[in-house]
Amino acid sequence: TEQPVQTEMWKAQSLEELIRILHRIFAEDKVSVEEVQELMESYESNPEEWLQYAKFDQYRYTRNLVDNGNGKFNLMILCWGEGHGSSIHDHTDSDCFMKILQGNLKETLFEWPEKKGNGEMTKKSERVLRENQCAYINDSIGLHRVENISHTESAVSLHLYSPPFDSCNTFDQRTGHKHKVKMTFYSKFGERTVCVSTREHT
Amino acid sequence: LPAGLSQWFPALEVLDVSGTGLAELGAELLGLSQLHTLLAKNNRLGGPGSLPKGLGQAPLARSLRVLNLSGNRFAEVPPALLELHGLQSLSLGGNRLHSIPPEIQELRSLEFLYLGGNFITSIPPELANLPFLNYLVLCDNKIQSVPPQLAQLHSLRSLSLHNNLLTYLPREILNLVHLEELSLRGNPLVVRFVRDLTYNPPSLQELAGRTIKTRNVPYAPSDLPENLVRYLSLASNCPNPKCGGVYFDSCVRQIKFVDFCGKYRLPLMHYLCSPECSSPCSSASQSSTSQSESDSEDEASVAARRMQKVLLG
Repeated sequence: TEQPVQTEMWKAQSLEELIRILHRIFAEDKVSVEEVQELMESYESNPEEWLQYAKFDQYRYTRNLVDNGNGKFNLMILCWGEGHGSSIHDHTDSDCFMKILQGNLKETLFEWPEKKGNGEMTKKSERVLRENQCAYINDSIGLHRVENISHTESAVSLHLYSPPFDSCNTFDQRTGHKHKVKMTFYSKFGERTVCVSTREHT
Repeated sequence: LPAGLSQWFPALEVLDVSGTGLAELGAELLGLSQLHTLLAKNNRLGGPGSLPKGLGQAPLARSLRVLNLSGNRFAEVPPALLELHGLQSLSLGGNRLHSIPPEIQELRSLEFLYLGGNFITSIPPELANLPFLNYLVLCDNKIQSVPPQLAQLHSLRSLSLHNNLLTYLPREILNLVHLEELSLRGNPLVVRFVRDLTYNPPSLQELAGRTIKTRNVPYAPSDLPENLVRYLSLASNCPNPKCGGVYFDSCVRQIKFVDFCGKYRLPLMHYLCSPECSSPCSSASQSSTSQSESDSEDEASVAARRMQKVLLG
């Protein structure tokens, strides 16, 4: 029988299977963005499979590491309480996939500020991502802010970053000024990390 | 809900009736003496009688710690709710509230208050009397100003004010010693120095009153008409700590920009007794923001060490 062509699409039946397939995909030299996005979208969110990673914080959204992809990628679950949102941020030259596991998240895209910029940043577009949808962004596409705009429902999202990164820039919407921040994990592999960092997340 | 609820499930601790279309929470809940968490989001609550009569005296009132009424139709905070003195967490997000009643201060145990997504236009200073409040959410409302008294919320750790109608903040916001998170984006915050607007010169009565107070001119109730004695008792100290002046009705508003965390310049409103208020810090006649006043700077650098995340943009 013929070998399936590179563009054959995967279907992940569970979170574990999703992770296994991701490991296989990222073991290759070249990774197709479309392939990963389709794969992430194909996984039908099943809370039983990810509840152990979904640790909420009262005051802000949390980043919970699920898998560190043999150094090729980071897979994490973000938990957003009502009204929680991120700064406008970049993605440090990495590919970023964001899949909604529960609830909805609003993504607002921004243009990169001008070098000499000292004015309000330009909004490119905004959309509300629904359950099981998967968005993709990288620095050449632009910057974004992600927020849970619901006042009644929390939200959970699954993020894949490749290559992994632990710092990025946040941007002041009014001025375009940027500020580097270190990112931390609220939990790793289901275990709460005792975080001594007092730095911002994105 | 079934009338026999509290007899059948006397040990019930958590009840979630969210998304059930309820238009009222009835008397069948009152006997649930172990219930600490009641979730009733996304229902049709909001009319009169949404909460059962006699709530304040019921066993439920003593046990309830967490109440979530978000996504309903409340146009005002129901008075019965204010009798839940043991309540630690209250959410009324996504309702139709136009105001916060000053009686909110009766919820003495409140630590978490979520009021995002309403039509609230102002914050009552009485909110500051909640001694344990550490998370206050007022985002997505129509709030135009923040009362300086809010700075008395010493235990506040997170304050969410994004998407409102704020043009400045009171300088007292720097006094919130435990504040770690402050979200202000989506407000029409003044970004450039605003030369002070109208300054109504003080009346002769006020000028005389100021002189009496600042020069300690002695007087006795028998010396003056009663209304003037009362007037003199209302003198306020100039909020500028370096100024020994007083004022009665007439004061100057001035916006100064304070660096927060070395990143953001927040417009803070200062009240001064006069444009010539004697101190290095102020004069409405000077224009530029380069007067990063020494006292404001000291305060800001202290605040910067505490403030971990100011979401301005």
